[in-house]
Amino acid sequence: MGSQDEEIEVRAPGLAVDFLDVSKAYMVNGKPLKALSSITLNVKEREFAAIVGPSGAGKTTVLNIIAGLEKPSQGEARVLGLDVNASNEHSLSAFRSANIGFIFQSYNLVSTLTAEENVELMMELAGWSDSGRNEKLTAELISMVGLTDRAKHLPAQLSGGEQQRVAIARAIANDPPLILADEPTGNLDQKTGLEIVKLLARLKGEKGKTLVVTTHDDRIVEMADVIFPLENGSLGSIDRPARVRN
Amino acid sequence: MEVWGALIGPLGFATKSLRRRGFHSYLAFLGLTLTVATTTFLLLLGQDLATRLGVDSSMRSTFGISWLIFAYLVLALGLIGIVGLLSTSYLVSSMISQHMRDIGVIKAAGALPRRLLSYVTFEALLVIASSCLVGALSALLAYASWSWPSISLFKQVGPIANAGATILIVVPMISFLLAYMVASVRVRRIVGSSSVNAISKQLANLDLKSLGKPLRIGRFGSAFNLATRNVSRDRGFNKTLLSMGVCICLSMIVLSGALVSADTSASYVVRAMPPHVLIVANINIYNQYVSLATSFSRIAPLPPIDYGNESYIISPQNASAFRAIPGVQTVDTRLITMSSITGYVRAHFASNQDTGENINTQIIPEVDTGSTNALIVGINATSAIGNWYTSDGFLQSSDAQYTMIAGDSLVGNIVQTPFNLSQVSALGYRYDVKSALVDPLNAGRVLYAPVETLQKSLGLNGFNVLLLKVNSDPTVLIAVSQLASSFGLVVGSQDPILNSNLTFLNDTWSHIFLVPILALALTCGILLSYVATNFSRRFNDYVVLKVLGANAWYRLRLLLWESWGVIAISMLIAIPVGWAVSIFFLVPDPSVSVGDLELSTIISASALTAVCLVSAAIYSRRLGFTTVKDLKP
Repeated sequence: MGSQDEEIEVRAPGLAVDFLDVSKAYMVNGKPLKALSSITLNVKEREFAAIVGPSGAGKTTVLNIIAGLEKPSQGEARVLGLDVNASNEHSLSAFRSANIGFIFQSYNLVSTLTAEENVELMMELAGWSDSGRNEKLTAELISMVGLTDRAKHLPAQLSGGEQQRVAIARAIANDPPLILADEPTGNLDQKTGLEIVKLLARLKGEKGKTLVVTTHDDRIVEMADVIFPLENGSLGSIDRPARVRN
Repeated sequence: MEVWGALIGPLGFATKSLRRRGFHSYLAFLGLTLTVATTTFLLLLGQDLATRLGVDSSMRSTFGISWLIFAYLVLALGLIGIVGLLSTSYLVSSMISQHMRDIGVIKAAGALPRRLLSYVTFEALLVIASSCLVGALSALLAYASWSWPSISLFKQVGPIANAGATILIVVPMISFLLAYMVASVRVRRIVGSSSVNAISKQLANLDLKSLGKPLRIGRFGSAFNLATRNVSRDRGFNKTLLSMGVCICLSMIVLSGALVSADTSASYVVRAMPPHVLIVANINIYNQYVSLATSFSRIAPLPPIDYGNESYIISPQNASAFRAIPGVQTVDTRLITMSSITGYVRAHFASNQDTGENINTQIIPEVDTGSTNALIVGINATSAIGNWYTSDGFLQSSDAQYTMIAGDSLVGNIVQTPFNLSQVSALGYRYDVKSALVDPLNAGRVLYAPVETLQKSLGLNGFNVLLLKVNSDPTVLIAVSQLASSFGLVVGSQDPILNSNLTFLNDTWSHIFLVPILALALTCGILLSYVATNFSRRFNDYVVLKVLGANAWYRLRLLLWESWGVIAISMLIAIPVGWAVSIFFLVPDPSVSVGDLELSTIISASALTAVCLVSAAIYSRRLGFTTVKDLKP
């Protein structure tokens, strides 16, 4: 748990993610299974947060709550000022499509859409109806991730690294302030993973996004402004690297 | 080791795999069970109806109309059987396709093909066997509750002995065998294919040729545009469209066929006994004529009567007097009598060609086809009221004097086809049979001959029944009654007779309409399975959309467009084809009511649209509970 200063910080404006004593429990075969135990964490805007921990620690559960896909069993969760507990499914969906970009470990592109269509889909979900503008922006994003000559390919025709680059383009297509990534390099080799790490760095540096990333990848951890270690649903000691503290 | 052996044996693999798939296994089981149960139940219902109609109408109706009803039943049940088997085949094929990736992974991991084949086939067998068993039991329970207390499982229907029991065993067994064959073939194909293709299920399922400019209609929104791409790029789209189209077409034939057949059979009766017709005769002949006319719809003993009694005869002059009454359009003068008749097939030459060029000609001697009692009606062809449905036309003034038209109930026994060889002996004369007609009079056991010929045979100069075609002016009835009364005759309307006969027909058809309605319900159930199976294949994509921010309304619209779009295309093709078959190929000389076609279309379209709504709503609700954790790599 944080100090008095950090508790004040939790309530201060400029926080992209603000968890206060958040717990989450599931019923599995009739028995409660605690996924998170009284987590208190906050991520400032434009900050790069890494959540680390072994499998089953609760990392994906944290991302689900931030994205509004699940609600805490206890505690308060605010994301970009929105109270997750108090919001209904409709407003959470609208919030997600406008404010959050999601990058999955397994890419999870829509299998029947080409690379550029997957990116454009995000704009449509955000309610951007100007198809001409959408097409232009899509082309820019595809170019940014270096896939212009693969834009009309289906996900099944792309390699893992290419799919993940499309996923990154998709994640920022609706220009969200917050990007969540669940083990983005988990299924990639070293070299391809490095490309993804560089793209993530660009998102933070050039685009000024807030990133929350669950990862085992040391290269990503090294880039993080704050590291949240999770184990068995509990938060360990929060680490802010020296370069950040300084 | 023993524990592992038990766990990884075929049964262990199957049960674990089915449990892991949960919702999707349940869908497959439910779809197959529903198909088997409904198909079996409908066939049991059909044989029950055929039995009851056979028992009830053996003394009533005419052979022609009974044949029409039974022929419709046989066709409907046959088509229902085909729908059931098609659906079983599709469902099993889809169920196996969903395992494709797992099969590829296990094969890539090193499983021997033979062992893999046995494991996966056994899993399919579990679902198929349990579905067929539960389906058969459900059908039996449903049938028992429908026909309680008179359950008929062991009666003969047509050539099938113990029809009900036979259906109860044969239909689930055929479903099981067909499903097993489809499953085996499908699994072998997957096991035999490349592991890469099996694992990369996405690529195998997509039609790359359909990439390009997708259909976009901005007004319909993003969900519509996404749905068109999802559906058009699905490799199985054409197969699904064809399967759905065939199911919808066959059920449309069953539904519209029932309406067309019912209308046509009613039209045959109306044509033979038109409305706005008055019957004029001596009271005894009048009562007898009414009994003869209503023998189509009720069983009542026919008392013997001397048709040729002088007091019953109406002279030609008296008959002509009715023509002078304003409002009387036609006077149909008839002389009726009951007589024993004998049928013959004339002696004729018959030739056949053997394997060489030799043609053998032989003389077929005359054959006696049997005797019965029949009503003989002498009629004036030029003034006959009635536009009977005939096989080769009604009597003409140019026909030979010893020419007869046979009622449909005599065809096939006394009167044989081809008619040009058929003869009937009646009242000491031989008549050539020109044609057959459908006539409710004396339940179709009737012969029409030129009235002059009958008068000569009976030695009478006059008629004993007059039919008057009148307009709807009530004063005509008064005038006719007055004139008839002056001749000692009575007058009655043919309308109650017609209504009685039509009521009997409608009553019969109202029982039969249960078959097309349930057939439509079967089709809807099958389509629900099709749609749900297709949704299951794209489950991952829908979860991704939800995670990316597609709200519940967007997801529902997407599912609706995907399901209704495919069904709408199927309906656009299948419904007109169903109409065309019902109108042009089902019954001779059909009577088609535009209202009936509209009704069948509205009912089908509404039911199928409801299927889309229900399936989309159910699946949308299921998606509402999903999170990132439900995404499959």
